[in-house]
Amino acid sequence: MSGERETRLFMISPDSRVTPDQLVRAVHAMGKGVKVKETCYGCLAEGSEENIGEVLAAVRERYPYDVFSKKRAYPAGDPRRCRAEHGTRPGYAQLEAEWESLPLIACGLESCGKGEKHELPPEPEKLPVEDFKKITEAAR
Amino acid sequence: MKVFIDPPNSLILFDLVERFGHEPLGAMASIQDRIDNIELDLPPMNVTLDDVVKGLKYAGVEVPSGIRGRLALWGPLIDAADAALIMLDPPFNFGCVGCERSNEMVRYLIKRRGIPALSVAYPNTEEEAKAVVGSIKEFLEGLK
Repeated sequence: MSGERETRLFMISPDSRVTPDQLVRAVHAMGKGVKVKETCYGCLAEGSEENIGEVLAAVRERYPYDVFSKKRAYPAGDPRRCRAEHGTRPGYAQLEAEWESLPLIACGLESCGKGEKHELPPEPEKLPVEDFKKITEAAR
Repeated sequence: MKVFIDPPNSLILFDLVERFGHEPLGAMASIQDRIDNIELDLPPMNVTLDDVVKGLKYAGVEVPSGIRGRLALWGPLIDAADAALIMLDPPFNFGCVGCERSNEMVRYLIKRRGIPALSVAYPNTEEEAKAVVGSIKEFLEGLK
């Protein structure tokens, strides 16, 4: 992997009161020399791996349950990817689907932070063949 | 430790693995490599014919080239992983990551490597989310 550039995608949870503008100003104010681009879902930050790591740590500390992040393969504002330039690359549909799920994950993280314990619900049992046979034969 | 995530481009899994102190192995690194060092731009993911040939290491020649192309991206990540985190049936399993045959093959490769792996169902309620995030945290902290 090319270690020179790292582009980070910061996405704000839909139940958060943080706005993309606030997030961009906060990242700029850190003064780490990274390029920041405001987007509808949050922002993109681009710079060296070291600087982006520092920005990520600071954003996590400031907005622990509001902002989620992952690496992005394409550079910020790449015309092949940018919707304003009619970029053809896929991925936004998935981002939108994940964006809708972020409040649930934030709720889970908050619960973990408080040290609460929760058991996974038991998996629904499979229908026995004999019962299934009775159902199908009842409709004859 | 390096943790492979499935779906490999998931924001949620990438974020959780990083938060709990590990290095997530997602598709983004492989795709970035193909974007930064290309001779010819090949949308959508710059997978070349060479990649499809490399995919033969992970899937037979009778397997469709799309699956082999995906495995050329994700297979080396599975080889490099020390553990794996799998989310089953997420609602965002469509598009490039929505090929169920590729996903089955990925799960098979993880199982064949014998690395520690956690499969969790996608949460739909707050209670389920608390349990899922709790089990992911427990799994990732146990890897240290």
